[in-house]
Formats: sequence, structure tokens, C-alpha cells
Amino acid sequence: MLYFSRFKIIMITMALLIGIIFAAPNLLNEKARESLPGFMPSETINLGLDLQGGAHMLLQVDVDDVMKRVLTNEMSGAKAKLREAKILTSSLAQDGTAITGRVAKAEQMGKAMEILDALSVPVKENTLGGAKTLKVEQVGERGFKLTPTEDYIENIKETTIDQSIDVLRSRIDPTGTTEMTIAPEGDDRILLQVPGAKNVDEIKRRIQETANMSFHLVREADQGELKRAVEEGRVRPLHILKFGEDGIPYILQERPEVTGEDLKNSQAGTHQDGYPIVNFTFNTKGAIAFGRTTSKNTGSRFAVVLDDVVISAPRINTAILGGRGYIEGNFTAQSARDLSLLLNAGALPAKLFVVEEQTVGAELGEDSIRAGKIAAAIGLAGVGLFMFLMYGLRFGFFANLALTFNIILIAAGLSLLGATLTLPGIAGIILTIGMAVDANVLIFERIREEAANGRPPLNAIDTGYRLSMAPILDANITTLIAAATLYFVGSGPIRGFAVTLMIGIVMSVFTAVIVARLFTSLWHKRARPKTLPI
Amino acid sequence: MFDISMVKVLPMKPRVPFIKMRIIAGIISIIAVLASLFLFFTEGLNYGIDFKGGSVVQFTVDEMPDLEAIRKAGNALDIGSVQVQTISLSDGDKSGVRFSYPLQDPKEPFEGSESEIALKDAALQQETLTRVQTMLETEFGIPRVKIDDEGVEQVNMSASVIGSKVSGELRTKGMIAVVASLAMVLLYIWIRFEWQFALGAVMALAHDVALTLGVFELFQIEFNLAIVAAILTIVGYSLNDTVIVYDRIRENLRKYKKMLLPDVLNLSINDTLSRTIMTSVTTLLALLSLYILGGEGLRGFSFAMIWGVFVGTYSSIFVASPLLLLLGVKRPSGEPTIETAVTA
Repeated sequence: MLYFSRFKIIMITMALLIGIIFAAPNLLNEKARESLPGFMPSETINLGLDLQGGAHMLLQVDVDDVMKRVLTNEMSGAKAKLREAKILTSSLAQDGTAITGRVAKAEQMGKAMEILDALSVPVKENTLGGAKTLKVEQVGERGFKLTPTEDYIENIKETTIDQSIDVLRSRIDPTGTTEMTIAPEGDDRILLQVPGAKNVDEIKRRIQETANMSFHLVREADQGELKRAVEEGRVRPLHILKFGEDGIPYILQERPEVTGEDLKNSQAGTHQDGYPIVNFTFNTKGAIAFGRTTSKNTGSRFAVVLDDVVISAPRINTAILGGRGYIEGNFTAQSARDLSLLLNAGALPAKLFVVEEQTVGAELGEDSIRAGKIAAAIGLAGVGLFMFLMYGLRFGFFANLALTFNIILIAAGLSLLGATLTLPGIAGIILTIGMAVDANVLIFERIREEAANGRPPLNAIDTGYRLSMAPILDANITTLIAAATLYFVGSGPIRGFAVTLMIGIVMSVFTAVIVARLFTSLWHKRARPKTLPI
Repeated sequence: MFDISMVKVLPMKPRVPFIKMRIIAGIISIIAVLASLFLFFTEGLNYGIDFKGGSVVQFTVDEMPDLEAIRKAGNALDIGSVQVQTISLSDGDKSGVRFSYPLQDPKEPFEGSESEIALKDAALQQETLTRVQTMLETEFGIPRVKIDDEGVEQVNMSASVIGSKVSGELRTKGMIAVVASLAMVLLYIWIRFEWQFALGAVMALAHDVALTLGVFELFQIEFNLAIVAAILTIVGYSLNDTVIVYDRIRENLRKYKKMLLPDVLNLSINDTLSRTIMTSVTTLLALLSLYILGGEGLRGFSFAMIWGVFVGTYSSIFVASPLLLLLGVKRPSGEPTIETAVTA
């Protein structure tokens, strides 16, 4: 039907106006946008990292390592509980996937299984029902096996990822001013995007340090013992061998006196002798432990271990009771600041490593945008001219008007949805310019055909629009299916392409079928042509 | 009013005997698909770093450095075959350079658990990137960070590093994307048309995908994620064409109950021919503009699309429609629809 009710005309005009209003901020510069009245939208299209420059990293979280630690904890828990009940165990071990062990006396097996069963608690605290943490099985007469349940593993992964994200955020953006994206990706990865990042190496360094700090008492070993430890890897029980930054070996008590978890805060400072240090304050628990250790061991050395490296081992001169202290090492002012930042952010629960990195320089990004704009302008001009040539000034104008609105609506859609325009996205828009006129071509060809078949103008236009609907819808829905598949399977920039393509398809159907028809109808009402200028 | 419409350029009622050419077209298509398959197993695709892992470092310079020297210095790092190319920028005063090298394998295989190996592997790739960037910085004076016109520090050395695990996943995902979209399309056309149409359309699409891959195998053009996007868009475009023709076939089957099937097919292709040509031309206009002016990053994509427009147009006329003859279409019974009552 070529007839449009007044209501419909108002609705269509409104839709187009809204489109223009939402697309408009993209044409203004930043200053002009800020001076817009509050009720006007001022969002512009987000540029992807490939266009505005910045760093994109996909980080793999070493979940296996976390699992091992969790199982070690569970294992010592089991050991302690069994020992409490005077049940002797042998060959207790874990391999990262399960804990296995044997009970010494077969008659104690029943009691042991009871104790082990009690170790399996609900995954989510404060819930009675729901999934438990461990699957407890008896193996043979005296053996047992504890396997973490799927839910437990899932929960550990989630917690690890969440904690890592929190720590990363405060490490990379301590002031909270950078516009960065940091989100879980899959079940063991983190996506990190920092637009306009300048110092990518710095970011990488902050990601890769786990910042596990602990304080251990140093065992004053003689040269012979140190030599044996280094060369043969032999240390006395409950002790560990660690090296300083300069390669000096230390034998430390395995159990830390205090750990980084008990730090309240830290900041870079300067020693009274002028060199950089890192000041720290413990929380209450840490302060008590630190005070007790330093008062009992005055005169011994106390090693500060950061990520497996002894960064200093000062002698304890007096008991430190206030929970305050400082670390000295071979710091520069910068490295002291870095360390205090890391300590404040806390330790990462797991090691992170970069499995994919895309850093784009701002200049290359700008160039892509410029090239894209030129290509879009020339493409648009070419298609527009061609439509005028093929369908005359009148119908060519309708098609080109529809095309113009199509572009405006794509810009509006991208701004409104907060979608990201990527380099392939630009390709999507330019491609849409070429493909969007298809609906109008279909309609115009049909109108021509119907007019040639002897229909009067109004009838030909009407029939042309009506009979073209089915093929237009079929053709566009199938393209939409391809684009949607791309969106769901693709990632990053390719998603950007899929989004622009999908918005382009929907908008092109709207502009070609409804907007162009409205203009055709308005024109026909006034001109009442005897023949069609098509 | 002044009319510049070129309606006379395209004949109003073309009657090209497309269906008669189906045997020769079929032979051409079969040979082309077989050749593409053959090339796939002999030459293979020239995968980009998205799909095989590896690294690319890109930067802009005001004055072109000695590329041969960079290549030599790169090879001296012992990081596999190094490629150094210029990239054209739309800003004529500047030039860009692209330095790429393959995924690094450890000298001796890593030991340890799966995650330990992955960790060491990632560290190796990162360490190599640092070596390359340091080499470019110290030996050729290419800054890693530049101060832009507004006085803001900006990254100058772009880098992409993709590890083996991620590239493997991307490859699988790309394959799933193509297969899944073909399956979805099959389903949609099956619902909207008859099964013969669905099968015909999907076979034509598979033909398009095969030929697009074939060109990439033949010329060894880099095959990356953007090309997979292009292939899916070609699928969409070609399908667009096919559906338009099919729609007309369905309409004409109802109209002309007595006409022989080959004639109905031929008539329908001819009916929609001017539209097919028009849309191909406008799409090609946009794509050519993109290919020539759109910058280095989109050249592969636009090349694939341009080729795809030709293949897609060809396949809707010469593959999708003749396949209906082969598959057999059920003719609707009853009286012809009255829509045709008006004749010129």
C-alpha cells in the first residue's frame, strides 16, 4: 500500500529524527559535545583498540597451580584430622587432580572414611544443600581417594579469576582513572584492554609479578652447609634454599613468620641515609606475629622474600612492636614505588601469562580511520552517482536518500548500543553502502517490470513494493544469519564487523522499504505522474 | 522532468539461455572446486598469525629505513624466517614497516605439566618480542614510544603476538563459524522454501567457499581472521542473490504451471538479471573503493570480497538454479495465480 496514515508518517519522521540526534555527536568535536545541553545525547561511537591505539592482551591464568595449592591444603587438613583421631596414614599424596592415601590399620578404615567425609563441605558457604567440595571414595581395603568435584573446581576457577581481576585493576590503574576493560574470558582467561596505553612493557611487568611476599628467619649456616645445599640440593628438614638478587644463597626456615597478606599498606620512602626504601605497616595479626618474632629472635637475620627471591636479609636489632617497618634492597626510586604499588595491590592468586597480545600504535590507528573515511566517501559517491544514472533523478534520489539515512542510522545505532567500531567494522559499513541499495534496486526493477507490463503508475509502484517484500526479507534474514553466526563465534575486531553488518542490514531494510516508500508516496501524491520516470 | 535514467542500457526483457549453458558451467565449477581441493592439500593456505601463531611488529617512520639491513639484523636474531615489508599509509609523508616472524619453538622441548609448558612457551614468545623491539630500537633508532602532535606519548611500535594455543582455537572457531552458518542457512531456506532449494543453495555456497579458498591457495595470499569474516559475508551475499532468484522461481512456478521447469528457471534468472547486475555493480563500487583507498589492513578482506561477489553472482545463476533441475522440484498444482493477468 502506498498510502501512509498521518500517524505512520509522524512515527517514521520521529524515528529518523531520533537517528539524526543520536548520530550527530559523532560530527562534533569534544568541546562542542561538552557544551551540548544535558538532555541531548553526547555519546559517540567507541573506537576499537585497532583504531584508537592501545594494548589488548589475553591472559591465561595458571589454574593448575592453584588446584595444586588447594589440594595441598586439603591434604594437610586431612592429615591433621586423621592424626587427631589417632589414625596412621601412609603414602599420602596429591597429583593436582586428586589426593590418595592409605590407612595403616584396616580396622580404622570405617572411622577414617567418616572423618574424610566430614572434610567435604558445601562449595558455597552458608548453604546446607548444594554441591560439596570433595568426592570421597574408598579404594580397596585400606586406600582412599579424595577428588574435587566439578562444582568445586568451577568455584576455585571463578574465585581465582575474580581475585586476579581485582589485583590487576589496582596494579595497572591504582588511581582508577584509566579507561580500561578487564573481564573474564572463558573459564581460565582474562581479557585486558588498555586504550592509549603508552608503556606496554610496564603493564606486562605488573601482570607477570605475582608479588608473593613473606618474611622468613634465616638459618646462619656455615659455608659447608651452604655449599652442600647449592650443589646437592640438600637442606635440613623444614628449611628451604633461596637466592638473593645477586645470587647469594640463603637457607631459610620454610614456615614464613609473616606474609604479604598481613600487610595493611606500604609506600615508597627514603632512608635517613638517602637511599630509597619501602615502608610498610602490618595489620593487627601481622603486627602481633612480627612483634613476637622480632623480640624472640633479636640478633638473628630476617629475610624478605618476594616471588622466590630474597630481596634483603637485615639483622634484627630490636623488637619491632608497632607493626611498622621498612624494606631496603637495591631499590631505585622507581623500583621502590613499583614494589609498594605491587604490595598494596596484593598478591595475584595465580601466575598469569600473556597468550595473545595486540598493541596498536596510535598513528597506525589514525591512519586506518583516515583511509576508511576516504574509502567510504568515494564508495558512497560512486554508488550514489550510479543510482542516479540507472534510475533517474527522481527514483535515484529516493534510493540515495534512503542510503544516507541508512548511514546516519548505523552511526546512531553504534553510538546508542555503545558498540565498538573496529577496522573490520569500517569494512562492514563500506560494504553496507554497496549492498544496502539492493533492496531499492529490487523494488525499482520490479516497478519497472510492472509498469512495462502495462500497469498504471500508482498500481506499478504499489505492486512493485508489495511483491518485493518477500525476497527482500528472505535475502536479508539469511545475511543476518551469517552475520549473527560471525558475532557468536568471532571475537574482538571480527565481532565489531558482525555488529556493524547486522545494524546495517536491519537499517537498510527499514530505510529502503519504509523510508524510500514514504518519499515515493509523498511525491506521487503531489505529482500524480502519468508515466513513471524510472 | 529531466530524465537521465539509463533504462535502455539493460534490455528490459533479457532472454539469455543460461540454463542451456549449465553443462559447461557445471564442468567448469566441478573442475574449479576439485582444483581448489587439490591446492588445499598441495599448496595449502598461507595462514596469518591468527591461525598459525607468530608475531608482527609494525611501526611508522618519517624516512624509510634500510629494509634489507633490518631483514639481516632480524635473521641474525635466529628467530626463524623474518619478513620485512612496507605498508602503505594514507598519509603520504609517512611510511610504515611490517616486521613479522613465526611462532618460536624452544631449542629443546619444554618439560613439565601442561600448564608449566604453556607458561614457558608464553614467556619465550614475549622474550623474543622484546629482543626484536630492542633490536629495532637500538640498531635502527625506531622509537617505541612517540610524542604526538598534541604532546601526548603514544605507542609507536605496534605488536601482535599470538601463541599456538590461541591460534589453534581461532582456527577451530573459524571453521565452526563457516559450517554453522551454512547449517543455519540450510534450515532457514528449508523452512521458507522446499528442501531442494535449501540443498541447492547450500551446495552453491559451499562452491563459493571452496573457490574463495582456492584463490587464496593459488596466490598464497595471507589467510587470517578477516578473511573468514569475508567468507561469511560472501556466503551472505551469494545467498542474497540465490534467494532472490529462488523467490522468483517459486513465483513463476505458480504463475506458469504449464511451462517446462528449465524454461521457468531460465525465465526467473532473466527476470532478476538486471537486479543481479545492478547490485553486483554497486557492491563492487564500494569494495573497489575499499580495496584501493581503505588502507593496508583491509586489502585482503576487500580482495576476498571482490572475488566473492563474482563467484557468488556466478553461482546463483549457474550453480544454484541448475541444481534445482538435478534435484527435481515439486510443481504446485491448481490454477495459475491471477497476478499475471496484466500483460504488455
